Amino acid sequence: MWSMPGSRTARRGGVRRSAVAVAAVAALGLAGCGQGDDAGAGADRTLTVWIMEGTNPDAQPFFSELSTAFRQRTGAMLDVQFVQWASAHDKFVTAIAGGTTPDVAEIGTTWVGEFGDAGALVDLTPRVQEAGLSDGLVDGLVEAGTLGGSLYGMPWYAGVRSIVYRTDVFTELGLQPPTTWDELVAVGQRIKEARPDLLPLPIAGDNEFVVYPFVWGAGGQLATQNGDTWTSGIDSPQARAGIRFYADLALEHGFSTPAAATWRETDVRDSFTKGQSAMIFAGSWTPKAILEAAPDLQGKIGACPIPGPTGGLAPSVLGGSLLSIFNTSEDQDLAWQLVQMMGTGEFAAKWAQESSYFPGTTALLNEAAQSPDPLVAPFARQMVDSGRSVPVTPAFGQIQGKKTIAAMMHSILTGEATVEQATSTAAAEMNEIFASGA
Amino acid sequence: MTLAERTDVEPGVAPSTHPARRRGSRTARPWLLLAPALLVMGGLLLYPLFRVLVLSLQDFGLRELVSGRTHWVGLGNYAELLGSADLWTTVLPNTVVFAVVAVALTVVFGTIVALLLARLTPVVRGVVTTAIMVAWAMPAVTGTYVWVFAFAPGDGVAVQALDALGLVDAATADPFAGRLSFYAVAALNVVHHGFPFVALTVLAGLLTIPRELTEASIVDGAGPWRRFRSLTFPMLRPVFAVVTVLSTIWDFKVFTQIYLMPGGDGVNRGVLTLGTWSYVESFAQNRYGLGAAIAVLLTALLLVVTVAYLRLLFREEEL
Repeated sequence: MWSMPGSRTARRGGVRRSAVAVAAVAALGLAGCGQGDDAGAGADRTLTVWIMEGTNPDAQPFFSELSTAFRQRTGAMLDVQFVQWASAHDKFVTAIAGGTTPDVAEIGTTWVGEFGDAGALVDLTPRVQEAGLSDGLVDGLVEAGTLGGSLYGMPWYAGVRSIVYRTDVFTELGLQPPTTWDELVAVGQRIKEARPDLLPLPIAGDNEFVVYPFVWGAGGQLATQNGDTWTSGIDSPQARAGIRFYADLALEHGFSTPAAATWRETDVRDSFTKGQSAMIFAGSWTPKAILEAAPDLQGKIGACPIPGPTGGLAPSVLGGSLLSIFNTSEDQDLAWQLVQMMGTGEFAAKWAQESSYFPGTTALLNEAAQSPDPLVAPFARQMVDSGRSVPVTPAFGQIQGKKTIAAMMHSILTGEATVEQATSTAAAEMNEIFASGA
Repeated sequence: MTLAERTDVEPGVAPSTHPARRRGSRTARPWLLLAPALLVMGGLLLYPLFRVLVLSLQDFGLRELVSGRTHWVGLGNYAELLGSADLWTTVLPNTVVFAVVAVALTVVFGTIVALLLARLTPVVRGVVTTAIMVAWAMPAVTGTYVWVFAFAPGDGVAVQALDALGLVDAATADPFAGRLSFYAVAALNVVHHGFPFVALTVLAGLLTIPRELTEASIVDGAGPWRRFRSLTFPMLRPVFAVVTVLSTIWDFKVFTQIYLMPGGDGVNRGVLTLGTWSYVESFAQNRYGLGAAIAVLLTALLLVVTVAYLRLLFREEEL
């Protein structure tokens, strides 16, 4: 939690002389005066940085190294604070309300547009252009961070969802990773017949990010923009076909379990680590966690991209984080130096490698895509070839907050509604939010 | 518990209404003595209440939060809320039925436990009280996860047990999918978490009932049910009023126990309650004005319920 003194100082800017001086000034209540001109010597400046906890299981060494390097380069100190993903959104919002935002923060792809739209973030477009980075950033992340032509964050890292499967089961049954939707069904059916103890492919109700590859794969759109207005595309014939195929993996083909209607992504992963599932839709960051949770699966898991209906790859949601500078930061040049240092070159590569995500610059991503690791390469392929962003509008954040798509899948998977009914309801809900947000 | 002690005070004869104390110089004194407390409560309770009321008349989102602009919409938020079909068809029925059932079960079960506790020797009573206090002391989040764990489809302990009894098929049953079974688990959780408070409060009341009264009624030939109905309940009416009103307020705005259950966070639209619905509609979408309007409506609703309860339990002059 933030104490009162903290909020006073940060409202006036994140560049501080020293924590002690700041606390003393605030404690005396001299919020409006007392501190001298900060712009001078770099030696006693400090940047506050918020980083999401858990992305990199052991982030301390990385940040102490970064702090040292940053001090050598600029003379400024870093105050790195870790924030839980689960409470991060609330924390950002309260910080924005109270003027206690950090100088630099890691912000999830789906939040950048929202905070940027609210006017809390610095438009980085000119700085990115000046640094000659415009063409070297991963498209999906740039797309996620761009609102109204302004880029509100520097792509930092990203991940994508593909399929993780049990190689031992595939070898035993002589199966190959599916490359079309028909093959996906055939593989699942073979597993269902030969290994009734396994769920061929559990379909989670509460995981919108796996619905999208099938909507996009079938040629549908989540929403389309026409000028300033957005319209839901979830009830289009193509989108419906994709959603029906996805739902039928559970309903018609029985690859899932009825309980999965309320499952989240973590439940799907648990079923895999418990050895109950043969294939799962999973993120590029999960194989490491799976092997940590179930060491006996070592050497028994593989990955393959989510295929398109008749070949190729289905577009998959590219999720990750960008590095943003808050408007309240007093020394935005210094903050940009840090963002550049973290987002490019050595530190970007190191972070991606340690966190088992992919870096946000194309040069580094292409390097990672060359990886021979069978648990990295398929994800890299999916991300480079078909990584895509969800619609970038604050209204889509609202739709996610309302769990519109998850509620739609839940009602389809439990049989409460047909695909037609559920998609119509969802589309109406989306359009209502689009209309009120404009 | 303080109210329990009040039972031996003759109702309706509050000291402050004594005519001799009604002189002008003395009317200021109670207010002076109350002033510090009133100031603190005014600052901590009334001002936020007022702010919520003001906020409920605005369209207040992240944009307004950053820019500090205000965008008045009058009663727009209220109109949107009251015009929502979900509110009338799912949210309100769910909330009311769940609250009524959960409160009834909590109070009945708590009272039964209290009657049992009253019969125990002090040592055993201490042990049992400690045991049920654990249920009360458990944070709602932890408790909810334990119940969810027990009812997890497939391998949850409770699901396995029901399967062994032949009531459900563990392989396909999902207690969280159906509205009724979802709320059955939720009610179990809420009652389990809430009954210790009722039990201990009622127990405290029971211990204040003079033994002679009970003995006299036994001599008169009253059975246990008759004794409870004609002696215990009337004497403990204020205690029951307190536990019922408090339980109603808690169960009406139950959030954690629903939100953390699979599907309870808005994915399963059929199980939304006022608490979770307001969160999904307002905070999850950064619509703080709408959230404030919901808070105002919920407060008003609970006030009405509370007043109705108190009127039901007491005669007019006792209030």
